[in-house]
Amino acid sequence: MLTPLLQIRLFIRSFFIQTGWNFAKYQNLGLAFVMYPFLKKLYQADKEAVPSVLQRYLENFNTQPMMASFCIGSLAKQEELLAQSKTLAIYQQRLSEWNGIKRSLSITTASIGDRLFWGVLKPFTLLMALCIWLLLDINFFELNLSPLLSYWEIWNGCLVAFIAFNSIAVLVKWKGIALSYHAENNGCFGLTQFDWNKTIYNIKRMGIVFAAILLLWGVYYFVHNIQEPFSLAFITRSVLVLFFVSISLVTRSLRIPNMYLYIISLLTFCVACLF
Amino acid sequence: MTTLLALCGLGALLELDTTYAFQLTFSRGIIAGPLLGLLIGEPLAGLQVGIFTELLFLDMSPLGCILPPSATVCCTVTLALFALKIPLYFAFFFGVIGAILFSELEIFLRKRRCGWVAQQEQKIVHNPVHLSRCIMSALFMSLVLNFVFILFFSGIVGIPLAKFIPLLPEKLHLAGKFSYMAVPWIGLVTLLSTFRLKAR
Repeated sequence: MLTPLLQIRLFIRSFFIQTGWNFAKYQNLGLAFVMYPFLKKLYQADKEAVPSVLQRYLENFNTQPMMASFCIGSLAKQEELLAQSKTLAIYQQRLSEWNGIKRSLSITTASIGDRLFWGVLKPFTLLMALCIWLLLDINFFELNLSPLLSYWEIWNGCLVAFIAFNSIAVLVKWKGIALSYHAENNGCFGLTQFDWNKTIYNIKRMGIVFAAILLLWGVYYFVHNIQEPFSLAFITRSVLVLFFVSISLVTRSLRIPNMYLYIISLLTFCVACLF
Repeated sequence: MTTLLALCGLGALLELDTTYAFQLTFSRGIIAGPLLGLLIGEPLAGLQVGIFTELLFLDMSPLGCILPPSATVCCTVTLALFALKIPLYFAFFFGVIGAILFSELEIFLRKRRCGWVAQQEQKIVHNPVHLSRCIMSALFMSLVLNFVFILFFSGIVGIPLAKFIPLLPEKLHLAGKFSYMAVPWIGLVTLLSTFRLKAR
């Protein structure tokens, strides 16, 4: 039975699910580490069974770390059923179910987690932080930032991004264990408790508004201090900004990473400036 | 020197958060940058480097087995070079190169780790208590490797570059500034396309 104390232990250990990540079996060490207290308690009457059970958890496993809690909870539930098997036939059937759940749930949660956390939440919290810094007059588009900024002004953007991301990530991590453990047979291991698509869609909708505001804000910062709008310096800078905006649109469609665009542009500028 | 060592140490520690422990986003550019900047007494430089790093690497996510360049390594190397009096716009370039090399090293290490993991599995099956020790040693090894890489790369690049920078013509500094200031614009275009709505 998943007691609150055991849930806390699984939750704390789940922060180490990716320790020992390797290309052969991915998060296998991490999963075994997370599940160990549960297995130890479940098989306390038959301690000799623990090594062979652990061997199953040391097989291939890979998912998104924040969503791994759904796999942890459901695997714990299935392990309980497996331990209660009365006959060898039931045991083998449940073992095959356990394997199927482990494989399919890890793929499903990875897909949801990658889209939600890396795909939209991380860029969205970055946007929030950038908007806050621009609101506080921290013009990061310029090379030299004002040295008069207070620590509070620097840190509040970081704090907002940190809290916004982790409040969702930690909540999913914490609730995922209990939800998937207590899920009904038709509950898709607790995954249906959240409307993932709607959440992703809403964050994207807010994100596009924030991004457009930020881009306009960037243009405003770019032009508002200009004394001579038709000076050579202003025209050169404008042409360069427009060049980079349009070329990054092209590289996006060609799926060329931004870092290569930056590296190539620096090298090209160096060569152009020298000759 | 002590500050540089502390910077590399903090960078190595924060880098663990990327994959091996917590994943609480301490390692993302906008958090790690100001933290590392604070250590060298330049939180504003740290903030700018953090923002630029995050915007530049925004289009690469750790999906499946993809390993994007490390934002923490980029910030740490950049700020270590900046502490060695190398201008930020040049330091950032080497920070990006360092981050790319680090991800290549990490891929190599993850492949090499398979043998070590197989050995550990044998030990764990014989004695399950070994599991915690195994996790601790994996974390410790990663920490040491992160520290060694950051220190080595910053030293290899930083020391000769610090002597070489004053000899560079002014035009090259201009080229560095131009491309450095293009980073937020490249990132903003990526941000817009990240949130592009598709049919539900």
